[in-house]
Amino acid sequence: MKILYSQIKELIPDLEASPKEIGETLTLIGFLMDGFTEISYKGSKDYLIGLEIRQNRADCLSIIGLAREIAAYYDLQISTPEIKTITENGKQLDIKINAVDYVKRVLAIKIDGIINKESPDWLKEYLSFYDLNSINLLVDLSNYVMLLTGYPSHLIDCEKITGQVMWSLNHDFNDIITLFGTSIKLRKDTELIIRDEKNILALAGMVGGKKAAINMETKSIIAEVAIYNRSVIRKNSRDLNIVTEASHRLEKELDPTSSYYAMQLLLSLIIKYGDGHISSKLFDYYPNKNISPIIEFDTSMPSKFSGIEISENDSIKILKNLNFSIEKNGKLFFVSPPIYRTDISIPEDLVEEIIRIYGFNRIPSNEIPKLEIVQDITPKNIILAEKIRDILVALSFDEILSWPLTKNGENEFTNYTDWDIISTQNSVNDVFPNLRQSMIIGLLNQSNEYVKKNVDFINIFEIGKIFGKKNGKYTEHEALGIMSISTNTVLSEFKNKIESMIRLLGISSIKYVNASQKPKIANSNSCWDIYAGTNQIGIIYKLIPQEIKSNIYFAEINIEKVTKLLLQIKNNPVVEITQKLITLDANIELKKEESINEYLENIEKKFNKNHIWSIIIADRYILDKKIKYTIRVTYKELSDQEAKKIHLNFFELI
Amino acid sequence: MLENNIKNLIENLKNNLLTIGNLDEMDGLWKKYFSNKGSIKLILKEIKELSLENKKIIAPLIQQHYKNALALFKNKEDLLKTDNLCKNLESQSEDLNYFTPKIGHLHPISRTIREMNNLFVSMGFSIMDGPEIEKDEYCFQRLNVPLDHPARDMQDTIYIKEPDYLLRTQTSSIEARTLANYKPPFKIVSPGRVYRNETVNKSNHFIFHHYQGLVVVEKTNLKDLFGIFNVLFQKMYGKDVVVRYRNKYYPEVEPGVGPDMQCFNCHGKGCSLCKGVGWIEMGGAGIIHPNVMEKAGIDTKKWMGFAFGLGLDRWVMAKYKITDIRTLLGGNLGYKYYENENII
Repeated sequence: MKILYSQIKELIPDLEASPKEIGETLTLIGFLMDGFTEISYKGSKDYLIGLEIRQNRADCLSIIGLAREIAAYYDLQISTPEIKTITENGKQLDIKINAVDYVKRVLAIKIDGIINKESPDWLKEYLSFYDLNSINLLVDLSNYVMLLTGYPSHLIDCEKITGQVMWSLNHDFNDIITLFGTSIKLRKDTELIIRDEKNILALAGMVGGKKAAINMETKSIIAEVAIYNRSVIRKNSRDLNIVTEASHRLEKELDPTSSYYAMQLLLSLIIKYGDGHISSKLFDYYPNKNISPIIEFDTSMPSKFSGIEISENDSIKILKNLNFSIEKNGKLFFVSPPIYRTDISIPEDLVEEIIRIYGFNRIPSNEIPKLEIVQDITPKNIILAEKIRDILVALSFDEILSWPLTKNGENEFTNYTDWDIISTQNSVNDVFPNLRQSMIIGLLNQSNEYVKKNVDFINIFEIGKIFGKKNGKYTEHEALGIMSISTNTVLSEFKNKIESMIRLLGISSIKYVNASQKPKIANSNSCWDIYAGTNQIGIIYKLIPQEIKSNIYFAEINIEKVTKLLLQIKNNPVVEITQKLITLDANIELKKEESINEYLENIEKKFNKNHIWSIIIADRYILDKKIKYTIRVTYKELSDQEAKKIHLNFFELI
Repeated sequence: MLENNIKNLIENLKNNLLTIGNLDEMDGLWKKYFSNKGSIKLILKEIKELSLENKKIIAPLIQQHYKNALALFKNKEDLLKTDNLCKNLESQSEDLNYFTPKIGHLHPISRTIREMNNLFVSMGFSIMDGPEIEKDEYCFQRLNVPLDHPARDMQDTIYIKEPDYLLRTQTSSIEARTLANYKPPFKIVSPGRVYRNETVNKSNHFIFHHYQGLVVVEKTNLKDLFGIFNVLFQKMYGKDVVVRYRNKYYPEVEPGVGPDMQCFNCHGKGCSLCKGVGWIEMGGAGIIHPNVMEKAGIDTKKWMGFAFGLGLDRWVMAKYKITDIRTLLGGNLGYKYYENENII
């Protein structure tokens, strides 16, 4: 919404503040200045101040509304444009309101004998500041009144209508040609329309139709100002993808009572500039009159909410300046907002009114609050994710963040879960419709970008959500994706880094099992599920050759599963060494298809854990059909002879 | 006679020592002169054969010569040992290579979140998270935004299944979940990713980040909120940071307020980054609306609270002087090999 400085000065004659100061003041009291332009109007220097209007202040989508705010802040009086009292003549108009659930108020009146013409220069120039093209005097005056009061009006050429004018839901019309000449397809049954007995005349609250549009020959009109249930305007506007100055205002909570002033102003201006005379009674459909609430108000609330002393006098003065009516009964105040303030209904609303005018900037910010001590409810996965970040950074990985929304086909290539894909319904970025099922997508895209830009040492990771649908339910969990790209690293080095990280988190029983579900992007011969004990916590694999001519390794860890496991594990990495450690090797041979993990698991079961310091695979030699392993066991708290005896026995070397 | 003999032997020893170059040869020399059958040692043995009178005169002289000879030998041996050690150390020495190792980096968003989290944890806050696929109930309805409320236009929603399931448009959904699931008092912050149906350009993205705060205690007010903001702004941007507070509308708070920071690029003069106004909008806040508290079953007579939501990407961009929001979630974000602005 824009305001013209000279017009504000006309409305508030005693205003002395500069244009810039007004913009800054409005910003602080709730209307952000988003534009400030020096212009020329009526041959003089002037200023156009652009403002962002709060969603709940329909009354301020108008010059008068904003002038009221300025007047209240500077404690000045506003003088609204003079209007003539409506003098009704003639018959009642033939109008019927069918859509009673959607229409709050309709004011309509007929004017005959109009001489329509081009608008005066001042009006054309004025409308141009609001990006409104001048059409003709009648249409321009209607727009001018909308800007000034915030109420859209609609003019219908009487010579172009047939019979009764009705406000109805659309049951009969497939389309409408708007007064701009655009054809709009209608859905039927959902649109609120204005029609006569033959034709559709307008999409109510949004745009007029060409059928009864005003032109230079128009002599007789019905002028109407109507207020609707805002939800229907919002829905129609969205469904039909039409946003107009009218719909923008009418989809907000605009007060129906004040529309009478807008109608009076419109009539005064039409009679003044276009001649004409009123030739009907005023049609006024207003079954449920808007009533201002009466709010019981404790004047200590502004101080309680702000934390500073705001006196009762200051509070009352501010409310009065904002045109609130106040009655005192004993110690209690009963406050009623002006009828156009549809945003005010509870005491907290009054508190905001008082503090915003009093000034948020008057509340000191240099005192550190003494808030009470409360219990820590931080979930453990948050702490774990932070630890992972630190470990991976120490292991030379860079963190990246990528888009959780992916292109079609990317999930199909990278998924290894039994989830279905979740898609968005209405993203404007429709090239990325699906939520990712694996972290690899973002990491691979980032790697491609780095390779294009000659960035080397690509060791990257990301912590984020992955998503899927299972048994009809949406599911998501936090995952860690890690990628390493190198011409000289091998998978086992990458695996060692991942394993170091998992062990640093506190899990030591890590195993790798041929993956149960392998993503298409993985080299199926180099793809393992990562287990902690009996729980699968992730996957590790080498990628099939990509555009990047290097080895690409990827691992993904389910952070939520790891968190749950860590909550069950008691770790104590400390031991007292009282005797020397004894290290003994054992050479074994397994068939290629036999698992060394299973073998070690079986061996471990036999050992008394109190005497084992470590068991590692010290060497591996691949034969034709077998693999030879050297298992190195280090014993503790045993003599040489005892260790040897156990060792030979366990490995069946005797 | 004996003295002359030992003198001659010592002369010979001296000549031998001059030509010797390693410790192995010294062993041979030891055997030749000082072992039991060595020539110098044999002369010592001959002392026993002398008369008592001669012994008294000759023995001390011979002993002195012997000591001198031994000293000559030891000096040479020490020289060779030192020399040998030096040669050994040289052969075993290792050089420092001058390759600077690669280090990893946290993403600037993570760094900023961590910095903020640390500050809030030090003030007794917990950190919370929540789902990114959210129900309309938690993203809107419990936050005083019923269906078809015009405030929904402020946050163009990406739906998974309209109207019930959506990608959260704000981390206020975590606020709604905390209010519903925990009993006050509590103080939480919740950083997180949010989604809105916006066209991606230099200053807008359809995926970005919020940093939410929520306090529900028996007594608090806007002064407390501003005090916290003040600490936060100074921590993130230094003591000279200039902040203003202005009235803003958010359905979940009443009164509503928002902090703006003076533009770091133009210092308030107006530039393209701040769209000419000199200020950068940093978020929104306010006292929790009684409707929000009541929907969560919290007694507004006993409890009071404030909430804030910060546009985290803007905080990060201001801190790291990033001018294009797309950099934060795209391929353009790189990490310098050397982190310092000035190499020391």
